[in-house]
Amino acid sequence: MFLTRLLKPTVTASAHCDLPCGVYDPEQARIEAESCYKIIEKYNASSDDQFKTRAIVIKEKQAELAKHHIDVLWSDYFKPEHVQKYPEITELCWKAAKQCSKVKGSLDLAEAKTLLDMIDKIADVWTKAGGPQATRVAKAAAAKA
Amino acid sequence: MEPALRAGDWIVVTSLSRPPRVGEIVLVRDPRDAGNLMLKRVAAVADGACMIVGDRPEASTDSRTFGPVPLTNVLARAVFRYGPIRRIGWLW
Repeated sequence: MFLTRLLKPTVTASAHCDLPCGVYDPEQARIEAESCYKIIEKYNASSDDQFKTRAIVIKEKQAELAKHHIDVLWSDYFKPEHVQKYPEITELCWKAAKQCSKVKGSLDLAEAKTLLDMIDKIADVWTKAGGPQATRVAKAAAAKA
Repeated sequence: MEPALRAGDWIVVTSLSRPPRVGEIVLVRDPRDAGNLMLKRVAAVADGACMIVGDRPEASTDSRTFGPVPLTNVLARAVFRYGPIRRIGWLW
């Protein structure tokens, strides 16, 4: 163990990079998760079998997209220094990705709500980690009415 | 930089007493962020600057994005990987 500590490098260099665009926002995952939530609501309110079948197919697709966006945030946006400062982010992303799988296979509105809450927690960390300034292009000032 | 380099590799670098050569893996100070060090492969050297690219262009941000890097930003050349043990070896 002593030898490992002695040999361990003290300087870190990155050998891989983000995709060039560098735009990351948990809102992308949230919109997909909101779709799942609304679809489940509509599914439960409907008595049309064809509609219900389509709702399931679309919800599964949206849940998969939410999972993809969470994975992208986790693997591309959050850096070791973020994890050091906000260690909870690892578990938040991991659990949220798993929750996407639950939503994909469920018609329980509570599961979709849980996913939304989890994405909001990721968004809190993203905001604290300077995500909005670091990754988004500022909007022009709102036009006057 | 996979497969030449993987996340977590332990690398020995040596300072350069000459301009880097095409094909070498170099330690470069990110021209966009001086606090960030990168390992990339030299694609071309000319006029006091070099083009650096990752080995996986589809997943790399390199000179195609930020242009040639001044040679003053090229700090060292990667020569040897000493960890993990199963991947020990020279980097040329």
